[in-house]
Amino acid sequence: MELRLGLVIDQERCIGCEACTVACKKENHGSAGFIRVRTQNVEQKDVPAGKFPELRMTFMPLVCNHCENPPCAAVCPMDAIEKRQDGVVILDQEACDGCGACVDACPYEAVSINEEGDVAEKCNLCSHRIDQGLEPFCVICCEGQAIHFGNLNDPEAEVGRLAGSETAFQLLPEQGTGPFVFYCPPLAPRGV
Amino acid sequence: MTTKSDTKLIRTVCPAHCGIDACGILAHVKDGRVVKVEPAEFPDPKYRRICLRGLSSLDITYHKDRLKYPMKRVGERGEGNFKRISWDEALDTIAEKFKAIAAEHGWPSIGWVLGGPGAGTTKFGAYLRLASLTQSTRVSAWGYGDAGLPCGSRVIFGSQFPYALLFGNLLAGKAEPDMVVVWGANPGESQPLNLMRPIMDAKAKGARLAVIDPRFTVTASKADAYLGVKPGTDSALALGLMHVIFKKGLHDVPFILRHSTGPYLVRNDTGKYLRGQDLGLEAAQEYVVWDSAGNGPALRQAEGVVPAIEGAYTVSGIACKTAFQLLKELCARYTPEKAAATTGVSADLIIRLAERIGRVEETIFVTHMGFTRTYHGDISLRALGTVATVTGNVMATFKGGHLPAVLNWKPFLKAVPDKPSYSRLGILQLYDAIISGKPYPVKAVWFSFINFLNQCANSGKIEKEVFANLDFIVDTELFMTPTARYADILLPVCSYLEFSDLVPHPYPFVQYQQKAMEPLYESRSDADIAAGLAERLGFSEYFAGGEDGFVDLLLDSRDPSMEGITREKLREGAMSINAIPEMEEAFDIPLSTPSGKIEIYSEGLVEDDQALPFQLDPLESPVPGKKTKYPLAFIQGHSRFRTHSMFANVDTLLEMNPEPVVEINPRDAGERDILDGDRVVVYNDRARTKLKAVVSEGVSPGVVNIMQGWWIDQFEEGSVNHLTHDVINPVQVKIYEPNMHMNDVAVEVVKVK
Repeated sequence: MELRLGLVIDQERCIGCEACTVACKKENHGSAGFIRVRTQNVEQKDVPAGKFPELRMTFMPLVCNHCENPPCAAVCPMDAIEKRQDGVVILDQEACDGCGACVDACPYEAVSINEEGDVAEKCNLCSHRIDQGLEPFCVICCEGQAIHFGNLNDPEAEVGRLAGSETAFQLLPEQGTGPFVFYCPPLAPRGV
Repeated sequence: MTTKSDTKLIRTVCPAHCGIDACGILAHVKDGRVVKVEPAEFPDPKYRRICLRGLSSLDITYHKDRLKYPMKRVGERGEGNFKRISWDEALDTIAEKFKAIAAEHGWPSIGWVLGGPGAGTTKFGAYLRLASLTQSTRVSAWGYGDAGLPCGSRVIFGSQFPYALLFGNLLAGKAEPDMVVVWGANPGESQPLNLMRPIMDAKAKGARLAVIDPRFTVTASKADAYLGVKPGTDSALALGLMHVIFKKGLHDVPFILRHSTGPYLVRNDTGKYLRGQDLGLEAAQEYVVWDSAGNGPALRQAEGVVPAIEGAYTVSGIACKTAFQLLKELCARYTPEKAAATTGVSADLIIRLAERIGRVEETIFVTHMGFTRTYHGDISLRALGTVATVTGNVMATFKGGHLPAVLNWKPFLKAVPDKPSYSRLGILQLYDAIISGKPYPVKAVWFSFINFLNQCANSGKIEKEVFANLDFIVDTELFMTPTARYADILLPVCSYLEFSDLVPHPYPFVQYQQKAMEPLYESRSDADIAAGLAERLGFSEYFAGGEDGFVDLLLDSRDPSMEGITREKLREGAMSINAIPEMEEAFDIPLSTPSGKIEIYSEGLVEDDQALPFQLDPLESPVPGKKTKYPLAFIQGHSRFRTHSMFANVDTLLEMNPEPVVEINPRDAGERDILDGDRVVVYNDRARTKLKAVVSEGVSPGVVNIMQGWWIDQFEEGSVNHLTHDVINPVQVKIYEPNMHMNDVAVEVVKVK
């Protein structure tokens, strides 16, 4: 079975706490956490959509999609971004000159230039951890147990099962990027 | 786990005052520095967790503003001008001052104001041991928001907390409910945080989730039904639910008969339960029921009795009704329409929720302190407990599982068995003790793990009257908090990574908070500080074992729940408290109410007109039909970015949540010409608090919310608790101790031009 490492983010379980963002920042020392949580359908964080008391609030953690055809890699003049065999899209900061082409190319706004302005940064799926057999740090720190990591091709694995579920979706599939990050939508309220 | 060989891994615990969570922490230590924290493993992976605050642990430990050495005040109180002194000078000064004050006013005039120790035990215990040895005053901190729930729970269930009875099985992972009702709590963001996972697990297996809260919280966002109740009207909601349940006959008669005082006869004339003595029986204090089989009165435990659940009866010329009958008559007046008018929740939703609770097999009620921080919050808790009782959803029967952790507290706190112990004052009663000497004068206070000025009601009064009438203030702190500025002697304490403690959480586990690094600067643990003072007061022998001596003392297994649990074994990880084997037959959990049953009717509160869970008007919050000076109900949510006032100064978290805001509904904002992002003043007779407005549908019309815990100096003007009041509810004094009613405050909001 071909290894296709990726994430499934379950919006039903995400409580919008941003532990993932803090975890990422602590683990990867980026200027911002590489995974960021938006509150959907509103501009402001933690504000519901609708009219009281008929309200909805859904959280959307956004992160590098570790695309099958990463547009960031395609435009990088330094060849600093590479899609690995196991599926992880790695940005090698040693090779990066901070030109910012990748930032513009990414439709997910998942790449940014660091605070010093000299190098690009993004989620490398905690390659330093997964190469040791560990899960990405955001996964083990997720309060809601909403972020799942593993081989998307493995139907026995939780990620494989969830990614293959009827309601699972990818972001901007029409862009042809082939995201390795899947989302499960929240359950619709069933009333009482 | 694999790490570089020069990194040591120490398993410890984050004991932040999330209280019942206590995440296990694996500290990575390199060259004596903790360089990383991560969630530690648990025997059950469901318990392996951390949060954004726990992940910021090192931002506290290595914060540039940590207090580094003992200091004495040199300027005016509140100015924040201090001078470095030695530990010897600090402790000598305190000992001399305490002795002098005690010589003049007696030792009870020294008050130990110990706030939320979080999940920690020995730091709290060390000070209480000292309070006990000196026979000074323990100021109980339950009253700073957490006494309303125990007041209610004591009345109906006879226990400090209702948690085990309402959701013990959910905590222990043994429940598969059809329905979860979260009432007055937001476990997605605050206590009981460790219930959010089991709630979502239950939901994934098909359970419906209803959330009752004036704010549309994170937890509410997961609900199948959201009931946006107005603050202080929870009892009306409960009565409305029971109206429907009784009308449709959905109540659980066998449960009410077996576990509650529902069938007990209550005298119409006195309101007291009818007793054996009223009938001239030898069992003078025994409760009396109406025996449907014998068509006459009978003692509750008499053989072959078939108690009537409802009805009016005359016994020996005394007119009586069953307690359940009285409850039913009260609920009959609360039609869904009437409940809707009071609570703001639609009658249709009340009917549907009541029917579902009544019809499904098992509903679990998850609750916490939020709705009990209202003037009659204790009654609200009883009202909730009554709904759970009449629908058979109290876990009053033990069917095997875990024993609660029983720590060996007694010899720890009361080191000398025959000597009298400390006096006890509720924290809200402390105000008067200091200001007017009633019931006795308190002249000196010791603050530990409490940001008193910031977190207690009516901060302006604390500044002007409470602090002004104190001869001496000691504070042990990590930072120069708003309270610390008022200290006469300020002592630097350790962060949790720098000392050891025992943490008997999360249920059903016990953990060892293992020191991961040496204390930074001159900071000391609270247990060490207590020992230093004890030495100067002649009690050093009781502190000789240090923190670990205290841990061992607590673990001493007088109780079977602690059998086999040792400090050495706990170094490796959390240990499960002893489970008791599955019972063949269920047995009733003995309750500590006067009747030993769930008291849906409290005869002790007849004189207070609170024998049943009536809907009584809040003190300040506007409710329909009540004229109030200020039109908006002010409540204080609990934010994930802080644990009370802890973490308010952490940059990582401030980047995501930079300043205090007041949330206001678009309807109320529109009426006041307030736009999102405007600077506004929230005010009442006590204070003006200036901050940014967020216009949000997430709060009910008529309600404004400011997340509690921001430090006073983080506001342009005023603060959260400058707006709150310190009014004492005398019924709560009678039951247990008075609560601060932070969610029962009225304000007006105006735009800053």
